[in-house]
Amino acid sequence: MKPRPPTMREKRRYLLLRIDPPTPDPDPKDLYFSVLDSVTSLYGDAEAARMMPVVISCGSGYAVVRCIRGYEEKLRIAIVTLTSVTERRIALHAVATSGTLLALRRRVSGLSPVRFETISPLHFRDREYTARRYQGQKVDLQEKGINRQELLFLTQDDLEGL
Amino acid sequence: MMETDACIHPYPVGTASVRRMAMEAGALGFGSIVVPGEVAGVYHGVRIIPAVIISETDLRRVIGQIRRHSNSGNLVFVDAGDNGFNRAVLAQKGLNAIRCLHQIPKKAFDHISARLAYENSIAVEIDLYPLIHEKGIFRQRVLNRYNDLMRLHSRYQFPLILSSNAFSVLDLRSPDEIRLLCSLFGMEKDDTNWALQTVSTLISPVESVMVAP
Repeated sequence: MKPRPPTMREKRRYLLLRIDPPTPDPDPKDLYFSVLDSVTSLYGDAEAARMMPVVISCGSGYAVVRCIRGYEEKLRIAIVTLTSVTERRIALHAVATSGTLLALRRRVSGLSPVRFETISPLHFRDREYTARRYQGQKVDLQEKGINRQELLFLTQDDLEGL
Repeated sequence: MMETDACIHPYPVGTASVRRMAMEAGALGFGSIVVPGEVAGVYHGVRIIPAVIISETDLRRVIGQIRRHSNSGNLVFVDAGDNGFNRAVLAQKGLNAIRCLHQIPKKAFDHISARLAYENSIAVEIDLYPLIHEKGIFRQRVLNRYNDLMRLHSRYQFPLILSSNAFSVLDLRSPDEIRLLCSLFGMEKDDTNWALQTVSTLISPVESVMVAP
């Protein structure tokens, strides 16, 4: 079958999103369903169908999402209201918008990769945690346990103050 | 003027320390954050503005607490109540902002309350937490309430403040994201920019100057 010529295709916009916390990366399929759920709950099925949000890629603390041109602002608003992916708390912040994937990939390659070291076990307020220490003072603590795994966000100064 | 998140809740109420909240808020583009129960300071270049939230429903106690805290260097916020409560509270000197307007009946904050807020320069808080975290009918109600509030604001021009009421760094949103969220209930960009900077004017209110001849 002959492909549709570029001038006949719908114009698209690509959004580069920073995932917070950056690790572990969410499953792209789960992220897609979460984005779609956010769009649908905010704008309804008809607008979601016109917007056509798709998760292109997801990894290394960043995700690329696509939509039809003209809907990028609505997609950004919907992404602001996204708070979890399969019960895991998450926040997505739009870093850049582009008309081509190539431009966003260049942008991602220019960003420094997320580096962290894991410290385990770490005791904080009589509880045992696994700590992820990122560059620039940030330390995330994940409580060890089966039922309730509290996630705390501290800085190096907070831990030194103990 | 600095852009300010008008209320966040760090550890132990929330899950992030005040230093981490300040660091993340600074990275998102805020110059200052309002933190209830915290001491004033600067962490990672972000100014911490202390505040007191009065959540009482008894009017006498509320007025007593406003008087006690009004000159303490803290911003004084009161949770809104019924119509009579709001009118009485908005007539008080020393109050900086009234909050939780999405939780009260629609008629509890009317045109008279709006005029009182304008006359006494008391800000009205727009809480973004329910817009982000609620869905369905609950979010629709909040949007409806804020639409109504914007109608009153366009007529009476009382000050507005915007808060994420973040309990975690994952609840924080950047000024740009807040501008987008506010467009959901018809808030203009200029109004949003002004609301993000209103806390600065609450700390150091502009007063009339008398020039001696």
